[in-house]
Amino acid sequence: MSAIIEMNNIFKSFGAIQVLKDFTMKIRDGEKVVIIGPSGSGKSTVLRCINKLEPIQSGAILFEGEEITLSTDLSKLRTQIGMVFQRFNLFPHKTVLENIIEAPVVVKGVTISEAKAAALRLLDRVGLADKADNYPKELSGGQQQRVAIARALAMNPKIMLFDEPTSALDPELVGEVLLVMKALAEEGMTMVVVTHEMGFAREVADRVVFMDQGMIVEEGTPEDIFENPREERTKVFLKRIRY
Amino acid sequence: MSLDYSIILNKFPILLEGCLVTLEISLYSLLLGMVFGIAGSLCRISSNRFLSSIAFFYVWIIRGTPVMVQLFILYFGLPQLGLKLSSMTAGVLGLAVNTGAYITEIIRAGIQAVDKGQMEAALSLGMKPRQAMIRIVGPQAIKICIPPLVNQFIMTLKNSSIASLVTITELFRTGEQIIYTTFRSFEVYTVIAVLYLIMNSIFMVIADKLEKRMARQ
Repeated sequence: MSAIIEMNNIFKSFGAIQVLKDFTMKIRDGEKVVIIGPSGSGKSTVLRCINKLEPIQSGAILFEGEEITLSTDLSKLRTQIGMVFQRFNLFPHKTVLENIIEAPVVVKGVTISEAKAAALRLLDRVGLADKADNYPKELSGGQQQRVAIARALAMNPKIMLFDEPTSALDPELVGEVLLVMKALAEEGMTMVVVTHEMGFAREVADRVVFMDQGMIVEEGTPEDIFENPREERTKVFLKRIRY
Repeated sequence: MSLDYSIILNKFPILLEGCLVTLEISLYSLLLGMVFGIAGSLCRISSNRFLSSIAFFYVWIIRGTPVMVQLFILYFGLPQLGLKLSSMTAGVLGLAVNTGAYITEIIRAGIQAVDKGQMEAALSLGMKPRQAMIRIVGPQAIKICIPPLVNQFIMTLKNSSIASLVTITELFRTGEQIIYTTFRSFEVYTVIAVLYLIMNSIFMVIADKLEKRMARQ
């Protein structure tokens, strides 16, 4: 399988704080990668660098083999990379349906009726067909996150980035979001997921990446990482999150 | 000394004309001030250093000097440099420049009060920064801006009385002229105050309705 994303020797800092240090990672087409690690380890920054929400200081990021440079059409790049945020970031002044059709209509020029039909199919997929005309604030956190997933999918992305998608949710709402993500994985979507949900990682990930202090400490299959971690830092982290 | 408001009654048509001029000055300077304010706020948050520093200095200078001095520079000062503005032009322009500086800050604060995640979500969907600003961040910022903008509009309407000093015959100056002939300061000034209050009240009611309608969305 070819790499859809390649990150080569990325250095990224916020002021004096070095967040990514010589970070290198490849994501193959169709792969499901789960990134775990302590807070502040740079997990979210990795995702935000992929779709250029964050600039990098040095290194190269390649999308489908082509390096992202200053002349890259960011709008076009981002339409191919869906992103789901920890705090959903739905547009509060638009209904659920309007949230989903916004980008297809405005960015891709899809007709409103086509976009609506596609949006309703997506809402059906995430189990929220009856919420099309509601405003985000009328929905639970879990429902909002499912809408956010549908909104990202509406652009037909080639890869989906999930930035701690269940961290802002009440515990009883986590399951419904993970279920939607699992279904998406089964359909073959390429996914990079930053999460603390180890059960999800075990079940869905082809590869688990453990990060600490801006670097990959260890990576491997879920069995490798969860059953037989080699590195001391991985062991300490896993022990800590199990309680 | 007894109060006699009956004298005002025959002068009432003139006072109403003054009200119209006051409304006219206020409306023009508000519209123009909004243009300055929107442009100023966009410059202020722009990543272009040149634009943002122009907007910074604009706000700094205007907020840091009295509106009366600003009007006097325009009307009495500029002719010395060969630029003579009519009193109406100087008055409206001065008030607009003044209120525009405050509106710049109001809109800037409103835009920055919108959760950063909104811009990020819009960009992540492939929207261009301008599209995201107009379609996603802007509408949310407007909602936040309405109460302070209403405040600023009220200030502008009251500040328009300063235009009397550059010889515009608006409500306040009309009143002064009535006092010259009637010597009824108390009656005239109180009636003027009530007229300002009525004009502002009408405006407040409209603004209140607008705010409630926006909140429902």
